[in-house]
Amino acid sequence: MGEKKKNKKPEETEIQSIVESSRREFLKNASITGAAVVTGAAAVIAGFRHERAKKKGEYVKVLTTDNKLVKVPVEEVEGYQMGLKELQERGRVGIKGKRWIWVIDLSKCRNARKCIEACQSAHHLRPYEYHINTLVMQESVNTPAYFMPKPCQHCDNPPCVSVCPVDATFKRQDGPVLIDNERCIGCRFCMAACPYSARIFHWQDPKDAETDKGKEYNVELNIPQRKGTISKCLMSCDRLRENKLPYCVSSCPNGVYYFGDENEDAVTNGTTKETVRLSELLEKNGGYRLMAELGTKPRIYYLPPKNRIFDFEKDRPEEKDFII
Amino acid sequence: MKKILSSLLLFQILAGLLIAQEWTVPADKKGRLSPFPFSDSIRKAGLQLYSLNCMSCHGTPGKGNFQALVPPPGDPATDKIQHNADGELFYKVSEGRGQMPSFKNTLASKDIWTIVSYIRSFNPAYVQSVMPEITSGAYSGAVIALSLLLNPSRDSVMLKASAIRGNSVVPVTGAGVKLFVRRTFGLLPLDEEKTTNDQGMAFFPVPSDLPGDTAGKIQVSARFTDEDQFGPVSKDTLLQVGLKIEPVSLVKDRAMWNVVRKAPWWIILTYSLGVLVVWGFILLVLLKLRDIYIIGEHIDSVGAKKNES
Repeated sequence: MGEKKKNKKPEETEIQSIVESSRREFLKNASITGAAVVTGAAAVIAGFRHERAKKKGEYVKVLTTDNKLVKVPVEEVEGYQMGLKELQERGRVGIKGKRWIWVIDLSKCRNARKCIEACQSAHHLRPYEYHINTLVMQESVNTPAYFMPKPCQHCDNPPCVSVCPVDATFKRQDGPVLIDNERCIGCRFCMAACPYSARIFHWQDPKDAETDKGKEYNVELNIPQRKGTISKCLMSCDRLRENKLPYCVSSCPNGVYYFGDENEDAVTNGTTKETVRLSELLEKNGGYRLMAELGTKPRIYYLPPKNRIFDFEKDRPEEKDFII
Repeated sequence: MKKILSSLLLFQILAGLLIAQEWTVPADKKGRLSPFPFSDSIRKAGLQLYSLNCMSCHGTPGKGNFQALVPPPGDPATDKIQHNADGELFYKVSEGRGQMPSFKNTLASKDIWTIVSYIRSFNPAYVQSVMPEITSGAYSGAVIALSLLLNPSRDSVMLKASAIRGNSVVPVTGAGVKLFVRRTFGLLPLDEEKTTNDQGMAFFPVPSDLPGDTAGKIQVSARFTDEDQFGPVSKDTLLQVGLKIEPVSLVKDRAMWNVVRKAPWWIILTYSLGVLVVWGFILLVLLKLRDIYIIGEHIDSVGAKKNES
């Protein structure tokens, strides 16, 4: 027994020492882990607080849908994608308080066709589908020929809108005449009614039909374009909403286009960004409207092709240049 | 001999034409210098601005691939353009002439200098002289401020330029100033550039027919012409100088092209009457059919009675 006891003792002490050492180890580990957790948590909390403090009091300026500039705390800003219903409503109502007006100076146009390119790329059109086109004009044999950019005239008495049987094309309070491809049934009454031949019809699948699939339809941009419906100049309403000049106006290299708000009696040149008074510009240059005798009241004014600084014949396109 | 004489004459005429086409820059603008030295990063930024604004006509410098216009725009790497002084280049880009558009409204003066720096990188002989810092001027170290005040008769705006250093306020005299009206897409200049008088003031007449907002207020903006000297100092104020304009919606009137509830009365009346007439007629036909049916029933019952009797 004694032997056993003797034998047991060292065992016990060993176990005890193991137990003790493991306890010590455990306590040590626990305290280290605890300290690490506490430090980590403190760091996380401090970081979080810091981030919150950093963002607190920071504001961003946001333009509301009714064109008001407001301040919103940064942490409350969330990305927002407009749905079809909202886009349609917004597109129908237009921008309050504005009356967009367009002046085209024929003396400066030399058929650079940059306006056409910009328009076609913005609205996903093929090279032969025109919302705006430059025509070679000559009134009579002895009068000089000139180039005439011809977009939709955005008439204040639009015959195209009168004939639409489904309320797809409409006039807006700020001037533009738009087309809603969601409603259009492709009857082409409006094409027949328009004296300016400003509308095109999608006989085939539109240019980017595949890539535009699934995009929310924006009535102010006419994208995605739709087969079997009408498409037309939109006065770049999507750009006007951002207080930017239309695509064609800002891409002209020759200073042909002036665009502005009739209520402010001011138009800005798309090339030089020079702002002038609308009434003065029209008065000094003898501004006129296209086929005014029809009573369509176009929203676009033309300035006659006088004092041209380039040789028309040099820029006259040859037949091979025409895209048919 | 005749041939030589005629060719000489032709040469002279051509030379005369060239001289007539010479683009002269006002003497005071010729010596203008860039306020900053042209560094590599500036030249790099210049390349970007050049490709956006100039390349479509002037082509890539050194390649001679400019557009075939009359007069030719010319390659910026050639002597034709490089012989210009910095101030001349700046003036020509900023003012434009003929087909060369003016860039003073599209590019800030700093951007135009950046483009000049890029153009100069094609001239190995070019050594830049930078505008000396204005330390000797009367306004060194001062804060330059502009203030605007409307004349009580509302026909002119007084602009006052002052330099504030500590507690002392000195008028900025002989400085070129401009006044603009802020419009949707740009700044509409009011009258010509003016120079401040010895009290630092300049007066701008305001046309009486300038449209303002619904309360007749107009946002005016004043700034110095010489941004290099005074920095981008500007002053924006709302002034009660315009006409009260109540914007009228273009779709407010009843018209054939307007939405259904804004259609002309005669259309609404004729249409409604038309619908009533058509439905009335259909109803009438139905009533008559009913009458015929009733009469038929009656005749049948009378016939049946007769048969019974």
